[in-house]
Amino acid sequence: MKIGILSFAHHHGESYIANLRAIPGIEICVADDDSVRRAHLAKQYDVPFYPSYEALIESKPDGMIVCSENTRHLPLVEMAAASKINVLCEKPLATTVADAKAIVEMCDRAGVLLMTAFPMRFSPPLIEVKARLDSGELGQVFCFNATNQGELPKKYRAWFVDPSLAGGGAMMDHTVHLVDVMRWYLGSEVTEVYAQSNRIFHADEVEVETGALEIITFDNGVFASIDASWCRPPYWPSWGGLTFEMVTERGAVIVDGFKQNITVYSYANQRPVWQYWGTNIDQAMICEFVAAIRDGREPSVTGVDGLRAVEVTLAAYESSQTGQPVQV
Amino acid sequence: MKVGIAGVGSMGSTHAASWVLTDAELAGFVAESPREADQLGQLYDVSVYPDFASMLLDVDVVDICTPTHLHYEMTLQAAAAGKDIICEKPLARSTAHAREMLAACQQAGVKLFVAHVVRYFNEYALAKESVTRGEIGKPGVIRLSRGSFRPKKPGNNWFLDTAKSGGVLMDMMIHDYDYARWIAGEVESVFAKTVSVGHPNAPIDYGLAILKHRSGALSHIAGAWAYPPTTFRTRIEISGDAGLIEFDSDASAPILNLIMSPDSDSADVGLPSSPVAESPYTTQIKEFYAALRGGKKPRVLAADGLAAVQIAEAAVQSAATGKAVTLEALAEVVS
Repeated sequence: MKIGILSFAHHHGESYIANLRAIPGIEICVADDDSVRRAHLAKQYDVPFYPSYEALIESKPDGMIVCSENTRHLPLVEMAAASKINVLCEKPLATTVADAKAIVEMCDRAGVLLMTAFPMRFSPPLIEVKARLDSGELGQVFCFNATNQGELPKKYRAWFVDPSLAGGGAMMDHTVHLVDVMRWYLGSEVTEVYAQSNRIFHADEVEVETGALEIITFDNGVFASIDASWCRPPYWPSWGGLTFEMVTERGAVIVDGFKQNITVYSYANQRPVWQYWGTNIDQAMICEFVAAIRDGREPSVTGVDGLRAVEVTLAAYESSQTGQPVQV
Repeated sequence: MKVGIAGVGSMGSTHAASWVLTDAELAGFVAESPREADQLGQLYDVSVYPDFASMLLDVDVVDICTPTHLHYEMTLQAAAAGKDIICEKPLARSTAHAREMLAACQQAGVKLFVAHVVRYFNEYALAKESVTRGEIGKPGVIRLSRGSFRPKKPGNNWFLDTAKSGGVLMDMMIHDYDYARWIAGEVESVFAKTVSVGHPNAPIDYGLAILKHRSGALSHIAGAWAYPPTTFRTRIEISGDAGLIEFDSDASAPILNLIMSPDSDSADVGLPSSPVAESPYTTQIKEFYAALRGGKKPRVLAADGLAAVQIAEAAVQSAATGKAVTLEALAEVVS
């Protein structure tokens, strides 16, 4: 099976190379419209680059992973759908509801699989809690208190803080993961969003919001807060994290998706560093994409999941403008 | 100075224990019925007044530790009697009442203080000092959590009567609203949710609030009446444009209790259970299997097992003797 990676604008594209290489029988093909990045990565990862996206697509891969800037997902998915190639698209699926809908519809019409890159679905701690929830052992869920905080992602790629390419700041970057986790847990859709944002962290460096708090409500009455802030200092022991407290009629379960670390205090680093030993959830996600193509079935995380998370994110932006909750 | 305490619940008795450490004279207590105050009256060998008016005749200061909805009336009465007042948090059940209370005290020329005790907790005070010193720059997002079990007060559980207490959003979270405001200044807007609104009969309650400060800072306040009894946990996270302050009562607990409870039930053997996709037992077996098939050596060898036994034996010896035990070089043991 042949899988392509289109663009390395998102740095996850780089780790997906290793994830694909770990799967037996996968041929990797890559392309990037940025010649500087292309030259650098070709050397670093020892992968031959196709001269263009078109050339890669003409080579008829079975699936492709779209890792372009957020606002540039749509044209690449369009090319894939036109050539009947299955798609795994980085999150957020798009930066407008219209684009996200278009992506879902074009893949539908073309009859290709569309998966959104939500790796938290593959986190063993989160899967365990989901199983306990489904078993009824935890009783009825009432609310969540959740965080997906991070450092300023500018150091990975400059476009993350460019609104014309990222579609926004912290709220665009960090709302979707938790929305997806909670939709998955509850089997319910978000009906209302309240959000506030500010730009106090890195105020002089960026034009987008860096602080964001949201409270969302689901149609089953469950409510949840999300802290999407880029508030982690540059010397934090890791990039950030994802946590939630799930409150039920029996009490609460507190989950930290990135707690499975050793702490290393190296003279070289001059600060503690958390080195993660938990399961590689990107690997599990890429395996699911490959398995879905192989089996000709819908992946466990779909394009519609990506669309729903985008809808909530855009509602959060609207609410942060109006100062009032917005219906989704 | 003679001090009278109104209310003999957890706050009344707590305040009493503090008062007797001052030079003030604890004059006595008043409760809904004198019988309720008897125990504390006897403990401190002080008066139990038949009613609030009687206490006012006998004291210089009243310390109001009654349910929230009673603060208003009592404060007005005490002010009218010219007494200085200490009032438990929340000062009143409504803004209008609180405003009246302040006006009445001002008019009467008496002092009124409100017991927002969180500001006196070392960790909260220190975090405030750190912010004031500019160590984390300008606060941007503040997260404050406070969680416990639902108040169990026997008999008349006014905590659960929203009309009287305001529920978790008021009674519990007011501490952190106060603290957030202390850190980031005046609050511009509030958005909050609580479980009890949608589920009045739920066995727990949990509140969430987002505060927007005039400074531009945002605060996230969470309050839980949801955890198993005896739990009480608090967290502070203040993110600024030049740093971050964290406090977690669990993480900074200096004592971890791992004491057997007579009726606790558990599996016969405890096993580590941090969830991972592949169990460590499986990984081990796969590696042994690969080695058996002529692949590379597994990560643990028999000599390691021997060394472990050697250490264990030495440990037993050390415990018996109370002395450090020097282990023989492993190479010699193996040969």
